[in-house]
Amino acid sequence: MTDAIQDEIIREFDGLEWLDKYDLLITSAKKLEPMDEDSKTDENSISGCQSKVWIQSYKKDGKLSFNLDSDAMITKGIMALLLRVVNNRYPREIANIDLYFIEKTGLKSNLSPARSNGLESIIKRIKEIAENECGQSNVQ
Amino acid sequence: MTGFAKDFPILEKEVYGKQLVYLDNAATTQKPNSVIDTISDFYKTDYSNIHRGVHYLSERSSERYEEARTKVSDFIGARNPDEVTFTAGTTDAINQVARSLEPSLRGNEVLVTGVEHHSNIVPWQMAGAKLRAIQMDEDCNLLLDSIDITKDTKLIAISHVSNVLGSVNDIKEITEIAKDHDVPVLVDAAQSIQHLPLDVKAIDCDFLVASGHKMYASTGVGVLYTNDRFSDLMPAKGGGGMVDKVSLEKTTYQEPPLRHEAGTPHIAGAISMGAAIDYMEKIGLGKIEKYESDVYSYARDRLLEMDNVTVYGNTDRMCGSISFNIDPVHHYDAGLIMDKMGVAVRTGHHCAQPLMESFAIEGTVRASFALYNTKEDVDRLVEGIEKVEMMYS
Repeated sequence: MTDAIQDEIIREFDGLEWLDKYDLLITSAKKLEPMDEDSKTDENSISGCQSKVWIQSYKKDGKLSFNLDSDAMITKGIMALLLRVVNNRYPREIANIDLYFIEKTGLKSNLSPARSNGLESIIKRIKEIAENECGQSNVQ
Repeated sequence: MTGFAKDFPILEKEVYGKQLVYLDNAATTQKPNSVIDTISDFYKTDYSNIHRGVHYLSERSSERYEEARTKVSDFIGARNPDEVTFTAGTTDAINQVARSLEPSLRGNEVLVTGVEHHSNIVPWQMAGAKLRAIQMDEDCNLLLDSIDITKDTKLIAISHVSNVLGSVNDIKEITEIAKDHDVPVLVDAAQSIQHLPLDVKAIDCDFLVASGHKMYASTGVGVLYTNDRFSDLMPAKGGGGMVDKVSLEKTTYQEPPLRHEAGTPHIAGAISMGAAIDYMEKIGLGKIEKYESDVYSYARDRLLEMDNVTVYGNTDRMCGSISFNIDPVHHYDAGLIMDKMGVAVRTGHHCAQPLMESFAIEGTVRASFALYNTKEDVDRLVEGIEKVEMMYS
């Protein structure tokens, strides 16, 4: 299964040196709307990352979107890419999505297990939220 | 390759197309050829279990293991090798002492410092002791005049060198204060044994712990020095090899150190410690200290002159580690970018969360040095920091 947004991200990273990839991530991070400080609660935070990550979700017209923030810019940059892919989709779609861009951009294979666990726990949380929303939709 | 680096094959490596600069030595050190060859040769020629067999290989293994014990004993200035127990590492050694002293520690107090790593905090708490920290000034100098030993103080457990700041604590002065109150002292030498000459007789501590892998030897092995004043210390672990007589009613134990080494120990690891000591002694600990001090001072001076860099801690004597942050960059981002410049540093809280809390920060970037690091490595570190700053400007 291919995905236009993921393919676009893969093209943006294609052929870039590592430091240029980080440059691009930092630029993306700067463009991401910061989360307001009141929302940076323990409940919204994700453990397993060297840097702090907070996540919130909201629904509009049956579609799910997320706000993410991090105190580290490179982490936040990866989050920004993730949001481009998952935001404004139906929960079922998000729950089932194959995030192949992480592998293809080299962002996964070059992260150590501890670090990629951080990224993995973020993806896990996003999918949990989406699954939860699917469950609720079924009840309705 | 310059200086001692030529003895360490991994340092020839390139990462991301750049010559590797390894500055994560407080976490673990790389291994010289002589240590790697010793481990390999041991498995090829002499390997067997120790202290059990009557056959040739068991004799050879036992001899080499006990030779390593004697080397460690001489290296730290112990009175005799019986005072040296091989453990799985510093953390294991501290846990063993905590377990053995648990009856006296439970409900009482262990005095530590505010720079301790978690391994010198958690085992005491697990043994039921409360912890109190010796106060320090804002530069992280211990305020020894403020040491308040009460009837509840059953042990002083203190790092010789901070794994975060590199500050050297005056352990001799602390053991003298402790003696006046008849309180035993445990010295955590995990970050000093590879940098400074040690003499447990001169320090006059009761326990000293260290790890093999931070002193150019294998992982999974370490030492616990126990002063003969504690020769009747109860073993923390039971099992094969540490017993005198076993019946279903009652068991009696071997004399130290064997009573503290239950089960099959890390034989090759212990022997690698002997080889690492041979390597360091061939150079000379005094020479190592002088050489490292030059590189360390150069690094501190260069970092202190950088506008956006905050260096933490500033005591009279420092070695090994330097912790800093680059304003306004998160330590994790800095570490990732420097990694891609070929410079390996550590980022995070370095298992010393109470210290991070005292600075009101989440973490630092830590550059930590070994005898193979050079001033050119420091220049590469500075280049890395400049690159980080540039990417954030």
